[in-house]
Amino acid sequence: MGQEQSVLRLPAELLYQNEIDALIEAEKDPVPEGWKMSPRSVLTYIIGGKAGKTQITPKYIGHQRLVEIAIATLVTDRALLLIGEPGTAKSWLSEHLTAAINGDSTKVIQGTAGTTEEQIRYSWNYAMLIAEGPSQKAMIKSPIYRAMETGTVARVEEISRCASEVQDAMISILSEKRISVPELGIEVPAKKGFSVIATANTRDKGVNEMSAALKRRFNIVVLPAPESLESEMEIVKSRVEQLSRSLDLNAQLPEQAVIEKVCTIFRELRMGVTLDGKQKLKAPGGVLSTAEAISLLAGSMALAGSFGDGRITDYDLAAGLQGAVVKEEGKDSKVWEEYLENIMRKRGSKWLGLYKECKELNG
Amino acid sequence: MADEERKAKIFGIRHLSPAGACYVKDFLERIQPQLVLIEGPSDFNELIPSLTDPQVKPPVAIMAYTKEAPIRTVLYPFAEYSPEYQAICWAMKRGCECRFMDLPSSVVLALEEGDYGDDQKGAAPDLYERLDQACGEDSHETFWEHVLEQASDEEAYRKGAALFGENIRLLSQGVLPQGTLSDGDEPERPEQADSPTDRNYLREAYMCRTIEEAAAQGIPMEKIAVVTGAYHVKGLLNGKAMGEQEVKKLPKAESMITMMPYSYYRLSMRSGYGAGNQAPAYYELLWNGFCQGRPEAAVYEYLTRVAAYLRKEGNPVSSASVIEAVRLAAALAELHGYRIPALRDLRDGAVTCMGHGHFSEVALGLADTETGTKIGSLPDGMSQTSIQNDFYQRLAELRLTKYKSVVVQDLMLDLREKLNVKSKKAAFMDLERSFFLHQLRILDISFAKREHTRQEKATWAEHWHLQWTPEAEIQIVESVLKGDTIRQAAAFVLKEQAEHGEKIGEVAWIIQEAYCCGMPEAAEYGRRTLQGLAVDAASVSEIGAAAESLSLSVSYGDIRHLDASPLIPILEQLYLRACLILPESCACDDLGAKDVIMGMEALNRLVRDQDFISEDRWIQVLLEIAERDDLNTRLSGLAAAMLLERGKMSSETLSREVERRLSKGMPADLGAGWFEGLAMKNHYALIARMSLWESLSSYLDTLDEEEFKRALVFLRRAFADFSSSEKSSIAENLGELWQINPQQVSEVLNEELSDAETEFLEDLEDFDFDL
Repeated sequence: MGQEQSVLRLPAELLYQNEIDALIEAEKDPVPEGWKMSPRSVLTYIIGGKAGKTQITPKYIGHQRLVEIAIATLVTDRALLLIGEPGTAKSWLSEHLTAAINGDSTKVIQGTAGTTEEQIRYSWNYAMLIAEGPSQKAMIKSPIYRAMETGTVARVEEISRCASEVQDAMISILSEKRISVPELGIEVPAKKGFSVIATANTRDKGVNEMSAALKRRFNIVVLPAPESLESEMEIVKSRVEQLSRSLDLNAQLPEQAVIEKVCTIFRELRMGVTLDGKQKLKAPGGVLSTAEAISLLAGSMALAGSFGDGRITDYDLAAGLQGAVVKEEGKDSKVWEEYLENIMRKRGSKWLGLYKECKELNG
Repeated sequence: MADEERKAKIFGIRHLSPAGACYVKDFLERIQPQLVLIEGPSDFNELIPSLTDPQVKPPVAIMAYTKEAPIRTVLYPFAEYSPEYQAICWAMKRGCECRFMDLPSSVVLALEEGDYGDDQKGAAPDLYERLDQACGEDSHETFWEHVLEQASDEEAYRKGAALFGENIRLLSQGVLPQGTLSDGDEPERPEQADSPTDRNYLREAYMCRTIEEAAAQGIPMEKIAVVTGAYHVKGLLNGKAMGEQEVKKLPKAESMITMMPYSYYRLSMRSGYGAGNQAPAYYELLWNGFCQGRPEAAVYEYLTRVAAYLRKEGNPVSSASVIEAVRLAAALAELHGYRIPALRDLRDGAVTCMGHGHFSEVALGLADTETGTKIGSLPDGMSQTSIQNDFYQRLAELRLTKYKSVVVQDLMLDLREKLNVKSKKAAFMDLERSFFLHQLRILDISFAKREHTRQEKATWAEHWHLQWTPEAEIQIVESVLKGDTIRQAAAFVLKEQAEHGEKIGEVAWIIQEAYCCGMPEAAEYGRRTLQGLAVDAASVSEIGAAAESLSLSVSYGDIRHLDASPLIPILEQLYLRACLILPESCACDDLGAKDVIMGMEALNRLVRDQDFISEDRWIQVLLEIAERDDLNTRLSGLAAAMLLERGKMSSETLSREVERRLSKGMPADLGAGWFEGLAMKNHYALIARMSLWESLSSYLDTLDEEEFKRALVFLRRAFADFSSSEKSSIAENLGELWQINPQQVSEVLNEELSDAETEFLEDLEDFDFDL
């Protein structure tokens, strides 16, 4: 495939084409109208397994039940809304679902504060509109429009970043399942198989609250943070390795113990409870996502590489942690102090160095 | 096999199974037996007629308990949809004979003495976990619900039950089942019953014996119907009956049997083979569906009920959402190849379509629909439960039996160790009595009432009123739902209260209660909740109050001979939290200040009373409050006073502070307010400091008339707490500054007020600060 060299990242259906083909070939169960494979095969594609002789790699690890709910939602022709904190693989899951169901993950609207209603419905090629008047040819169809025509699944990324009037445009599309074009005097009904997968981020600032009316039109699946400390450490470790390779950080990769410390602190502060479940604690205002843990470690490596001996010290970590945890000066620094005093100080000698550095920085 | 005809007809069931309850009736109708044998202790036979008494409303349980302490019990709960219960009802209605056939409960209790726990609590959870893995589903419950509860006819149920029994049987022998029926060889029957599995062989041998005995009485084998757990079917078909000798060798414990009311809630708390059911109210819906011939009815009923509950709680859930939930649940079931959704599919449907993807939004609705609040009932006097027995035993042990009369009697307790008696038991008799009475109080059993008025301060003395009433007896019977003994029931109540506590003061109180009851292990539940609440505890005064009540438990744990050390970390945490939020809380108006003062006083006492609390931190916080100008001045003054009391503020600092706080330009009410705070503590130390009075005097000189009036109101309040002799010392101090001799001062002070002066003071009362 000559494309591969020139493109930074291929869509899922091209990357995993052989797996999709194998699943379609090995199909035994009934396939819903408009779908390329049965719901059960979609599930296999996402969580991994076998199709004939082909090994299917897992795309989404853990939480099989949530994937089942997502697929079942699309079978019932309901729209699906994936909600989660940053770094919980919402877009990843939505891309792979459409890749498996339609073999096409490219009918996407990227939601921003500047997204307009036209981008949800349709707009015009104005030159042609003025020259010839309204016609099918002068019309620029949105991804949702095209999905309705073809009976496939469209994706709306970051729907909560769109202004509320743009979100409102979705309401009638989802309940009526048709778009009317008054300029041409036509109404386009959705073909069977049409649906929408939207993703939204609840914790970030600068997002628009979704209206209850819109939420009602979706089945909502909340994607949680990585299930266990081990799986989160695994994700962090592999991503930090990739990053340090591409950024030439000049430092040793963080030791297992360091990754464990960072992930432990992040998980505990994120969940508001210690890992053993025995002690509740106050969570800071910020998100503390897995993605942040990764950039924290990469940052610490950069510090160690540029100003230290190339090994991450407690001092480097403390600086990163202070920045990650304390985002709002007044409140968060107290939360951090409570955590240091109540939890970290009592963890014994392994943590003592980090405790002291953090305490010093937090003042 | 020719002799198949001559074997008893066995119907294997899963306990608490609606489908089983329905099909067992079909089975009995078909067989038309002369005798129905039910899996259950054979010494319970006398209870069979009462079980079908129209006044008995399930859920009920039959129980046996040991007469000797420590009390141990075995319980057999029945819901309306228990196959056993329906079989008994069928037999009674047809006038057919019906018996229990298992080992007598006295034997079961004796076997348990080896401390293996009964098979309902001990080995079962582990067994079920392994079954989960073997099924390849998240929950074995879901699998069996599909296979058994959605069985379309008797035959399908029989097959499912056989598979079910086979699986558990293999698992209990340590083999992972393959999910298919297999004809494994029966292992050798062991001599001794030292594990649940072996006990099951004993039980099966005994059951075979009961069947053979019935046949020996002349009932044709094919007219004997046996209703038993699916586990035992194979054992009963192939097993050998127990011989006379073996029966004689069985151990026996002296025990009592009774019926007791049961609740769905309690049913849902126990899981495992035959003993419980995760969702009793949902299973009742299934049962209702079966009775109407529509097994899928529960799907609609369940989701509609959840929606109705949520609406009642103020969450608008539209019918459209219910419809979507039903569709999603159906699609989920289909994904696994089933026609009717199981409980897990319904739950996920409800969470996704009604709860916006959050379990917490629908959790209460699900709990209400799945568990429910149904409680069974029995006619009066039918019950003689273990907790009643325990109550009388403890009365006797603690020599309290004479107090069991309808006349109110007083009981004075001295909790201290009595040194002039011989046995340890006698030395702590009053303490044990106190524990017992506190436990009764926690259970709301009206036999014991604490008299609070006298001797508040003496922690070693308690005064009780004891009075026996029939209500007390009823209250005790009802408590059996909470535990088998008084102590267990009290622990259950404390745990419930602790887990539902919403204010830290409340929970701290529960911890104190646990210590009063002599159950520090129950305090652990409270400690956990408290730890959770302390994280977002609101105000300083709340934390202060909670910390103080914990501090009491720590200090007086000694008297009750209990270990209070687990409370220390949580106390430290509360203290740290209070110190962190205190400076911010001090930015409040005078109304709010009252609360904060209470909190500060409580913390101050805490630092004084407990030496594991760090004083340095407290001083740091007080210094910050004393120095900052943007906080409530009264509180700044109080902080200064506390520092002064601890000797952590020098005279120079004090006089500098006084000058700063009481300088011209500072609004009079702020300055005087600060002084009021300062004067709340250590009056003598203040009086003795001449420099303070000098500053006050010169401050007053700088005020104009209107400002003076304002200041006067606050200063009057500040001095209200001083005794009259303290007031005259102050007056003398000021007199000295103004060069008036003490003689003249006391003359002025003791003079009657003139009318004009009285009027002026009265005017002050109505002083309007808004001017």
